[in-house]
Amino acid sequence: MPIPRKPDGSVVTTCAYCGVGCGFKAETLGGKVVRMIPWKEGKANHGHSCVKGRFAFDYYAHPDRVRTPLIRDHIDEPWRAVTWDEAIGHAATRLRDIQARHGTKSVGAVSSSRCTNEEIFLVQKFARVALRNNNIDNCSRICHSPTQFGLSATLGAGAASQHFDSVLQADVILVVGANPTEGHPVFGSMLKRRVREGARLIVLDPRRTETVNSPHCSADVHLALRPGTNVAVLDSIAHVVVREKLYREDFIRSRCHRDEFEQWAALVGDDRYSPEVVGPQARIDPEDIRRAARLYAAGPRSTIYYGLGVTEHSQGSTGVMCLGNLALACGMVGREGVGVNPLRGQGNVQGGSCLGSWPHMFSGYRFVTDPEVRSSFERAWDITLDAEPGLRLPNMFDAAVAGTFKGIYIQGEDPVQSDPNRDHIVAAMRAMECVILQDLFLTETANFAHVFLPGSSSLEKDGTFTNAERRVSRVRKIVEPLAGLADWEITVRLTNAMGYALHYDHPSEVMLEIARTSPAYRGMTYALIDRVGSVQWPCDENAPEGTEVLHTATFPRGKANFMLTEFVPTRERADDRFPLLLTTGRVLSQYNVGTQTRRTGNVAWYAEDLLEISAQDAAARGIVDGDPVAVSSRVGSTVLRARLSTRVSPGVVYTTFHFAQSKANAITTDLSDWATNCPEYKVTAVEVMRVTPSMTRAQPTPVAEAVEA
Amino acid sequence: MVWVELRALRDDIDLGTPPRDGAPVTLSIDGVDVTVPAGSSVMLAAATAGRPVPKLCATDTLAAFGSCRVCLVEIEGRNGCPASCTTPVEAGMRVHTRSERLDRIRKGVLELYLSDFPEEDLPGGWSEFHETLATVGVTSHPYGRGENHLAAPIDRSNPYFVFDPAKCIVCSRCVRACEEIQGTFALTIADRGFRSAVVASQGESFLASECVSCGACVQTCPSQALIEKSLFEGEYERAHPTQA
Amino acid sequence: MSDTPVIEVERLVAMANQIGDFFAPYPSAQRAEGIRNHLRHYWDPRMRAALLAHLDATGGADLAESVSIAARLLRDESRAGAKAYAGPPRAG
Ligand code: SF4
Ligand code: SF4
Ligand code: FES
Repeated sequence: MPIPRKPDGSVVTTCAYCGVGCGFKAETLGGKVVRMIPWKEGKANHGHSCVKGRFAFDYYAHPDRVRTPLIRDHIDEPWRAVTWDEAIGHAATRLRDIQARHGTKSVGAVSSSRCTNEEIFLVQKFARVALRNNNIDNCSRICHSPTQFGLSATLGAGAASQHFDSVLQADVILVVGANPTEGHPVFGSMLKRRVREGARLIVLDPRRTETVNSPHCSADVHLALRPGTNVAVLDSIAHVVVREKLYREDFIRSRCHRDEFEQWAALVGDDRYSPEVVGPQARIDPEDIRRAARLYAAGPRSTIYYGLGVTEHSQGSTGVMCLGNLALACGMVGREGVGVNPLRGQGNVQGGSCLGSWPHMFSGYRFVTDPEVRSSFERAWDITLDAEPGLRLPNMFDAAVAGTFKGIYIQGEDPVQSDPNRDHIVAAMRAMECVILQDLFLTETANFAHVFLPGSSSLEKDGTFTNAERRVSRVRKIVEPLAGLADWEITVRLTNAMGYALHYDHPSEVMLEIARTSPAYRGMTYALIDRVGSVQWPCDENAPEGTEVLHTATFPRGKANFMLTEFVPTRERADDRFPLLLTTGRVLSQYNVGTQTRRTGNVAWYAEDLLEISAQDAAARGIVDGDPVAVSSRVGSTVLRARLSTRVSPGVVYTTFHFAQSKANAITTDLSDWATNCPEYKVTAVEVMRVTPSMTRAQPTPVAEAVEA
Repeated sequence: MVWVELRALRDDIDLGTPPRDGAPVTLSIDGVDVTVPAGSSVMLAAATAGRPVPKLCATDTLAAFGSCRVCLVEIEGRNGCPASCTTPVEAGMRVHTRSERLDRIRKGVLELYLSDFPEEDLPGGWSEFHETLATVGVTSHPYGRGENHLAAPIDRSNPYFVFDPAKCIVCSRCVRACEEIQGTFALTIADRGFRSAVVASQGESFLASECVSCGACVQTCPSQALIEKSLFEGEYERAHPTQA
Repeated sequence: MSDTPVIEVERLVAMANQIGDFFAPYPSAQRAEGIRNHLRHYWDPRMRAALLAHLDATGGADLAESVSIAARLLRDESRAGAKAYAGPPRAG
């Protein structure tokens, strides 16, 4: 077979794996997807791709995919395969029964960033009109909810201020708590390209990541700060800007509130934030803090990209505000090449955020407590809506443990594997009477579910994704849904079964409803997206083809706001019993909890989660490379294989969370961001100990399970 | 600057060299007037004018390299046949993309390439190399089966693509894609002349190398020496006997 | 439904104190208003009720003072109609 088979079909669609949202041509042969070719006109990727979107698509036809709905009365019973009607009817009956016995607010729903905008919108609508409460959340709760909070507080819009291409005009690039070459590879390649062209690079990260140093791209300043000291270090950078008067007076006067600036400058300008004080706390050289501040302030075009290393902290929202403050003070907002930009993990985290999958907000970031907004939805949906905020996802679990929350509809999420403090989540799951899970595979969470609704992959449905730069791109159906229904159809059926009549012929009709009810999406239609390729919101009369750069003339609230960002150390501290700080991250070839990538050839690169440890800490514990080690924290322990690494400093260890077997979330605590309850995945005090092989027998070898495909 | 290079790319056309954003320049290609931004190559102008020039080592996602000598053109008032991919446009230039002489030179160059390409892989092929052969009208070569790369082992280590050195025409597009687009610098051309070959890192397999499997090399390879495994039923094997 | 708090009070107290920590650098009137706005528009009413019940029952010894003050503002009729906002706390 030397001549390759030639594909006979090609459809443009969008990668679902990460927040870059690369455009692809899905090429088919005889109705099957045979390869994914990056689309040269994709405005996020310009014809480039990474291993996940380009090659790891075969999970969609994996034998483990569930092809029929399943139900059972109790989680100890085996599953029974049933028809769609029976499964949906069963789910609705259980939910209604729980509500009758425990009250309207005893159930809730959570939407998935792997689903389309239309599907996310429908799940929040389901909660509000069918469950009749605001117990609706989305999975960005555990990753980027602080972004929405912190950027709204400062800049007025909880989203990236720029488009990705903007980085190609930047002179100084500040990367904070993100590792784009692994987490957002196609953007990472663009960033490196710009650095090769001469841009200066500053990285704030406890780890010497690939972004810090790779061929022909290395950071001018790397602040390898101690996990948990982000806010102190960012305040210290601000301290230098204030004390050395590196701020832009004209910008502050015209675009910000001068009195708020004064208030902020007094706080960060205080001696307690001087590099000489903060440096030792964060274990970095004070001079590096000064260099970073001077480089950033000098620009002329300085831009900030940040990730979960900022948000997943007890001061996650504060950290995001620090970035907003810094950009405002230096006038680095509202032009090409500057800005503040979150790098979002999952494909549609931005969509999850914009489309009202929040217990306190409707689509377009408007409070449910606002009577005018609420009544506009009441008119649109012809129903009275709950006027009070509902429970956030972690609070739903807390309430389940307390016995006040009994049923949940989970769209495409795996909280048992991905949410912090696994034991707590498991206890919550066990306490619930009805867990309805909609997913592709029988995940860890499925072990605790009563109804399993087999969902569809992004190759099997129509819809849109909104990537990390606010870009709305089309997802197009290439093959029929394996289990018969697209996710949006499942939610529509469940809504109907709960007694609220809903009907759409096609997801494009859902988009019309989104446009009618959500200001930033007002001009968005499939026809427009088809015509121009993809559209960045806001898209309305003033910006009929969307908006690349935000805040060019004014901010959403007119002027921008400085927030006071006092450093409050996390309660999670290293001590004699738990002397090391564990921080978490991800690798290029795997995707989040790995439900999909583990079922592809990508395991060739990364077959298990490893614990990176410095040679010094390893030697002190008699650990050599490859040893199985027990990692214990105040809440639990797990076993991982050790990898000696120069990427982490002594006192810091690092792991990923791609494989269920490693139960990385058995050790992370339930501390969370003060404003949003986003979990503190980035700081856990742990001790690491060598274990003898007999102790590890319970640990299955991940490779065998994962490669069988 | 990269800004324009990326944003002006179009899916349905390979302009041959990256788009530019200079002031408009008008020139004539085969008698047709065309206006393109200053800094553009003659190759880009020709593609824009609907008179594409055959090429192998050029593509619009990579900086021009000028190694294959297939893209030669004639420019009035200049001696010889410059490579259109590395020649910038000038106002008033009069370019000819076809002539008997150009045909002869291109055929000669392509016949040389073909002499080191497995002949069993010719019929039914649909790569850019195959298409270029067809456009120029080359179906055979006068050299007989001589020295070739059929003894070089196929690299199947990557889970998603294979590299068959026998089909490699050493255009170095993969190497440049790895550097310019992906920024990983995992590939190099080792050695020179006939022995030159694409290698990953320090002569390792693709899987063991620095390669992050982004796929940029596979996408740009004109000869399908780098190709997705998913396009084959079963494992990729050569149709031809392995011979020295 | 019953008297069981929707979520364990300890957890609510910890969350509320963290909110108090954030607003600590603001002048007192702003501080209390910032905490109030947050509790009012981000917390489920049952969480607020449980926090207030705890405050009534115990005097709130485990709560930061600013949080106790802010929690009491939740009962302030004159602020009942105040709309939610993002950004710096407004002066009291
Ligand atoms: S995973 Fe992200 S970077 Fe990779 S192809 Fe998909 S969208 Fe692009
Ligand atoms: S592998 Fe392909 S792209 Fe690379 S040098 Fe050979 S022919 Fe060119
Ligand atoms: S295409 Fe111009 S020399 Fe190869």
